[in-house]
Amino acid sequence: MAIDLKLDKTEGSVTITVSGDIDMSSSTQMRDALTPLFQNNNKVVVVDLSGVSYIDSSGIATLVEGLQWSHSSNNKFRLAALTPGVKDVFEIARLLTVFEVFDSKEQALAH
Amino acid sequence: MAPPIKLSIPGDPKYLGLIRKVLQELLDSHEVPADTARRLILCVDEACANVIKHGYDGPCDEPIEATFTIEGDDFKVQIRDYGKQCDTSQIKPRRLDDIKPGGLGTHFMNEIMDEVSYCTNRAKGTLLTMMKKLKTELTSAHDKDKG
Repeated sequence: MAIDLKLDKTEGSVTITVSGDIDMSSSTQMRDALTPLFQNNNKVVVVDLSGVSYIDSSGIATLVEGLQWSHSSNNKFRLAALTPGVKDVFEIARLLTVFEVFDSKEQALAH
Repeated sequence: MAPPIKLSIPGDPKYLGLIRKVLQELLDSHEVPADTARRLILCVDEACANVIKHGYDGPCDEPIEATFTIEGDDFKVQIRDYGKQCDTSQIKPRRLDDIKPGGLGTHFMNEIMDEVSYCTNRAKGTLLTMMKKLKTELTSAHDKDKG
């Protein structure tokens, strides 16, 4: 099952909007899109999850890689617009307070 | 008692969406609340993903057989594979305060399900059984409808 990925770059920041189910078959696609963003001069990477109703542990693992990048590089890795299903998975994983989570991508970029 | 629903998929991640859809339909038909259904689907997806990753060492055509039973308040799912057997005593979730990629699938299953058990007492593969009581969730959903 493929996901749709859309990149929106502004100076120093990039938003990646993901649509579809993120599972073992599609998380690699998201990882392939995210990894180059960690190597460029991006100060802020925002992942807009408003179009994602399902995420499993492989998707979470990919996002944790972003978190690790932000910690090691002192840049920002933010999640925006979590749907109830995705939010629930983050809660069960006790990760909701570990990530920087915003209600919308606009809010994530404004901070 | 409703007869069990059986589904066999190849051990390939591209079929995980199919098993999620079938289970969603089944849970909808039993009026299982959406939040509960979502969590049960996550557990089954993670169990199948573990089979592909650890039992079959990656995508393949070997089967993953899922059997779903809803009897009264009990939801039961059995996941049968024919891959590599592992020491089931070593299957445990990672510590949640150790933030790193991977290792969450087992945590989800243990956290959400009432019972999770692995049986390797067979020539080949593993039988995973997971159980969940639906009563509380179903009752609260009905109460909400009445209110």
